[in-house]
Amino acid sequence: MQLADLADVGATEAHGIAWSERGEVEVLTFELSGEVLAIEAIRVFEILDVLTDTVVPGAPPLVDRIVNFRGKIIPVADLRLAFGMERAEQTVDSRIVVIELALDGEVTLLGLWADRVLEVATFVRSQCEEPPMVGMRWRREYVRYLARRPNGVAIVPDLRTILETVFFERAGS
Amino acid sequence: MNAEDPAAAFRIEAGELLEQVEQGLLDLGHSLADMDLINAVFRGLHTLKGSGAMFGFDALAAFTHHCETAFDRVRKGQVPATAELVAVILSAQDHMRALVEGDAPDADGEAILARLQHALESASGAEPPVAEPGADRQGWRLFFRLPADAMANGTNPLMLLDELRDLGEAHIVARTDEIPPLPDLVATQCHIGWDVTLIGDISREDIEDVFIFVMDDMTLELEPLGDETSDDTAEADSCAVATSPVADTPQAGAPSSAAAASAAKAGESVRVPAERLDELMDRVGELVIAQSRLSQLAHDGDDLVLRSVSEEIERLANELRDTMMVVRMVPVASLFSRFRRLVHDLANDTGKQIALVTEGESTEVDKTVIERLFDPLVHIIRNSCDHGLETAAERAAAGKPETGTVRLSAHQASGEVLITIRDDGRGIDRERVRAKADANGLIQPGQVLSESELLSLIFHPGFSTAAQVTNLSGRGVGMDVVKRTIESLRGSIDVASTEGEGSTITLRIPLTLAIIQGLLVRVGNGSYVIPLAAVEECIELSLEEDFRSRGRSLINLRDRLVPFLRLRELFATGTKPDTHQKIVIVAIGNERVGLVVDQIIGNHQTVIKSLSAFHSGIATFSGATILGDGNVALILDVGQLVAMGQSVDTEEKIHAVG
Amino acid sequence: MTASILTVDDSPSIRMAIRIALTGAGYSVQEAGDGVEGLAKAEASRFDMIVTDLNMPNMDGLTMIRELRKQPAQAGIPIIFLTTESDADMKSQAKAAGATGWLVKPFVPEQLVKVAQKVLGR
Repeated sequence: MQLADLADVGATEAHGIAWSERGEVEVLTFELSGEVLAIEAIRVFEILDVLTDTVVPGAPPLVDRIVNFRGKIIPVADLRLAFGMERAEQTVDSRIVVIELALDGEVTLLGLWADRVLEVATFVRSQCEEPPMVGMRWRREYVRYLARRPNGVAIVPDLRTILETVFFERAGS
Repeated sequence: MNAEDPAAAFRIEAGELLEQVEQGLLDLGHSLADMDLINAVFRGLHTLKGSGAMFGFDALAAFTHHCETAFDRVRKGQVPATAELVAVILSAQDHMRALVEGDAPDADGEAILARLQHALESASGAEPPVAEPGADRQGWRLFFRLPADAMANGTNPLMLLDELRDLGEAHIVARTDEIPPLPDLVATQCHIGWDVTLIGDISREDIEDVFIFVMDDMTLELEPLGDETSDDTAEADSCAVATSPVADTPQAGAPSSAAAASAAKAGESVRVPAERLDELMDRVGELVIAQSRLSQLAHDGDDLVLRSVSEEIERLANELRDTMMVVRMVPVASLFSRFRRLVHDLANDTGKQIALVTEGESTEVDKTVIERLFDPLVHIIRNSCDHGLETAAERAAAGKPETGTVRLSAHQASGEVLITIRDDGRGIDRERVRAKADANGLIQPGQVLSESELLSLIFHPGFSTAAQVTNLSGRGVGMDVVKRTIESLRGSIDVASTEGEGSTITLRIPLTLAIIQGLLVRVGNGSYVIPLAAVEECIELSLEEDFRSRGRSLINLRDRLVPFLRLRELFATGTKPDTHQKIVIVAIGNERVGLVVDQIIGNHQTVIKSLSAFHSGIATFSGATILGDGNVALILDVGQLVAMGQSVDTEEKIHAVG
Repeated sequence: MTASILTVDDSPSIRMAIRIALTGAGYSVQEAGDGVEGLAKAEASRFDMIVTDLNMPNMDGLTMIRELRKQPAQAGIPIIFLTTESDADMKSQAKAAGATGWLVKPFVPEQLVKVAQKVLGR
């Protein structure tokens, strides 16, 4: 596994966001246990209705499910576990957001659980803040930005760091 | 898979090239004047040299260069192809193979090059190359002018001039007559033309290659320098003045017809990256699943039209799936043809007369399987030639034809490919097999053995019946290794032999590695597939027995203690055991382990899919598959589980002692 | 200094083949998956050469070449396109769009490296 390749998607820089010249970025927002998360829309491959998942015994808990996505077997990650939330039951609104990642130099698909997909929105640079050094519920390195929205805050997760940690933890165990 | 190593990719490519060269040389040995073959050999050597240099195989490139040069002379008619030359290049390509592997003694190469030199000298003695009078005056006078926008479009005229200089001695003079007056001059445009005199043994193609990207739009005038020898003038006539598309250039007769022939051949097949086939296979898998949902719906309703459409689609989907399986298949011809040389060499080395007969070369097998069959077949054929076949004198004495025959055949039968290697030699000496097995303690003295039991002793590790070990066999590879390789392909090997009449070895190989028969089981709420080939038997594990065995994990199976693993615990399902648990006994070689499952669901034809990088490191699973309802089941890695069971076994035995 | 080359192709395997060939010959290589991305990367940093496929989603190679040649900063940068033998028409279109040269698919790495050496002079 080449960690350096993780999440190195499209024109996106290592941990950064591909801001346009006008300082904007399109994101897909979704709900996870009451929090709103936002990921760059350019990474989103497809949004699926929930499929029956299969547990992979021995896999890192964050990525311990696989599903049949049109004949391909793809892993599904539960970002709740990265943000200290409990796993939750699926509902009629649950979706799997499929994103593209470069793993070992090959483009791989990864699913992300979502309780509800909200919308494609445009974030401007000025509404996004680096996470504060203290006083946050979440591991700071997992949060790329906190984006102010009319009715709250959206977390822009640092997928690269989150997934790297999965690997380090597995390697360490 | 590490597809990123170009050197590894080159080794594979080099293997294929050398094979082509070898085939070309073997055929050329029978018809020395065949220009197509000469060209094919040249092209193979040429590519080998070029790619070798690219991937750092410098010794290979340097060595191959000499052989390529020799064949270039043959190709140009300067030297005739002779049997001696073909023989030298044949041994040279063995050396190239060694160079590719990186274990070639320099001395070998030098000896071959010396022989090559001798072969060339005696060949040209037979027909000395035409002296080239005035060679030192050969060359071209050319004028070229690029389209005005060439520089903006990325062509750098200075580099073109450099390339011309690389071809030979060049005198370059710029023509500035078309440069517009300063006010009209656009800095990015190029209006200079160049007169160039090029001296040296340079072909028209060499010059055209320099201009290949700008040929269509530029002005290029080309004429040969001075008086030329007769056959050069012919060429000069045809390549007079200004340039039109490259395709118009006449080519010498023989090479172009050869090129046409090879182009026609190439047109018959398409090279497709394996990953595209996998994608196609995925689509077909989805189709089959969608179709099974459709047929469920059709059967639940009363709509007869829907039902008939559904059945039609079912048929088509199944046919499509079968076709897909076939696409990965390649004929065994490519495998079989590699043994011609082997048998040729074995005949030379043993002094026996041996004919290789091949049958069923169009039989198709999965490409991966073909690659892994090569080494076992080499060993078997070597055995046949070395131990099986008799010398011409012995054969004559036994009333047999002096030439022994090794018959290599392939045919398909019910999802398997049968490959048989049959020789008409002396057959396996049963007494000697017995004596040897006795001496090695493989059997008890006086033990009664059936015919097949006796013969199958040759597959025991370290077994060799040859009274004396020749240089051909005994390379550290025994029939036991052959057997293991075949078994790793989920195949089997059998031997039959009649004394005085010969032996037959039969390999049964599954058509593909992409699909296996699996045993579908349930553990907790999850479905898992156990490769059926590894399954020996299934037995019941009653709750009482389960309780009794608490704390230890060994079961008594016909007076043998077999370790077992409770998959529910291994997979941490958190579920209660079923009342009628089963133990699936799986084996790899002689090692056994029992896998406790909750339920056996049944057989399942399994298309193996690999797991993503997130999960490929989990040893318990070798892959996953999609079930008929679209859900995913993991495929158990039996090898890993057996190893795990063995360590449990050892632990408990230690525990018992302590 | 190492020459840097941008390869634009929608097929990851072709991109990989190109990357392996060119990095093996000592060039540094960046990749883009279609014309849009290729254009963006070419605008963002200067390349010594661009190798592009013609048929690609979002923006095809012809359009990308035309867009690039419109920009003064991209004048003179060699652009090599990949084509198949039968595409005589494509070849002239691509040249008209401002391409420097072409490479016929399928190609061996050696040919690509030769082309790179030819147009880069190193």
